[in-house]
Amino acid sequence: MRSLVARTMFAAMLGVAASLAFAHHSFAMFDQTKQVTVTGKVTDVQWTNPHVWIFLDGAPAGGKKERWGVEFTSKVHLTRRNFTSDMVKVGDDVEFTVNPYRDGKPGGRFVAVKMANGQYYCDVGQAAQVFCQTGKQ
Amino acid sequence: MRTRYLALAAVIATACTGALMAAQSGPPRPIYPANAEKASYAELDKLPDWRGIWQPNIGRVGGDQPMLIGQYKKRYDEERAKVAANPGYEIPEKSNNCEPPGMPGMMTMPYSLEFVFAPGKIIVIQEAEMMVRHIFTDGRPLPNEDEIDPNYFGYSVGRWEGDTLVVDTIGTREGQRLGEAGITNSDKLKINERIYLDKDNKNLLHVDFTFTDPEVLAQPWHRNHTFRRDRTWEILEYVCSENDRHPIDAEGQTKAVF
Repeated sequence: MRSLVARTMFAAMLGVAASLAFAHHSFAMFDQTKQVTVTGKVTDVQWTNPHVWIFLDGAPAGGKKERWGVEFTSKVHLTRRNFTSDMVKVGDDVEFTVNPYRDGKPGGRFVAVKMANGQYYCDVGQAAQVFCQTGKQ
Repeated sequence: MRTRYLALAAVIATACTGALMAAQSGPPRPIYPANAEKASYAELDKLPDWRGIWQPNIGRVGGDQPMLIGQYKKRYDEERAKVAANPGYEIPEKSNNCEPPGMPGMMTMPYSLEFVFAPGKIIVIQEAEMMVRHIFTDGRPLPNEDEIDPNYFGYSVGRWEGDTLVVDTIGTREGQRLGEAGITNSDKLKINERIYLDKDNKNLLHVDFTFTDPEVLAQPWHRNHTFRRDRTWEILEYVCSENDRHPIDAEGQTKAVF
């Protein structure tokens, strides 16, 4: 498994703009000025196009436990960034950080995930990189 | 007796089918090129090497600004105002709900392109939504506009000017994205593309567009895109309808389907 540093370098080479581009819809439904961290257990991994989804039963700090949906970019882009379908598995205890839905629905756009062993996987966007390098403590 | 009726029915059926076929057959279509049966794959060796997968340089677009007119300018201004007023607003586009964007949008999506050369034809594969475009390079003329039923990808004819592929496209259906969200084409759109390798960097591909549309633009609009080559990648599968959980309605509101 590549280290976080190696993954970050690879992501930087791909270019930050790649995470902002979209094929069939934008990410306007998410508030990308905000980040919410949700702790819980993974219930479903959908390694699919046009976007990858991971669902978990979890809660933000002080919040109630609900089913949260985390939307990634496409399977195509994630594959090229060396993400794999088994990086996060059903039953894993995880800590997801997302840009939340504007309308309050329990879900958001993937920023980063902290695995039970402390390892992080991060998106390529600038905010995700900042989070993973400075804000994850 | 029964056999006689059956035979008569068969004769009538045959006559009707024949009439139907006659009504559906048109004038003979020309074969391009005339010597198609002798088309040589060896001729392809004379063409520049565009093999590999071409990844777009997203956000780096050259060219000039569109001089929009009429209802198209009005709509663009209105849509931009809605986005400015509501960052959650999504400009409604035909491609929002996994419908292929067609031309010219398919050439500039944030996914990779592959060019496949064949005698008399170049096939462009767009990874996103698994789109395929056909460019005829067999010497056929561009059809008249009224000979084409407007469609997603239009009708493309190309020719080589040295190592530059020059492609003219007409016949795209109206209402597809033209250049950026909020701008759409009419069915009078003409697309000219000049596609060539950078003279100093053979791993950089230029696609220079000129859009001409008398109902949308006061003057031709130029958009220049570049792509970088990766010889190790393969085009990956992308079925948009596999798991689209964000359908967008006609008012630009995104629904989340969990």
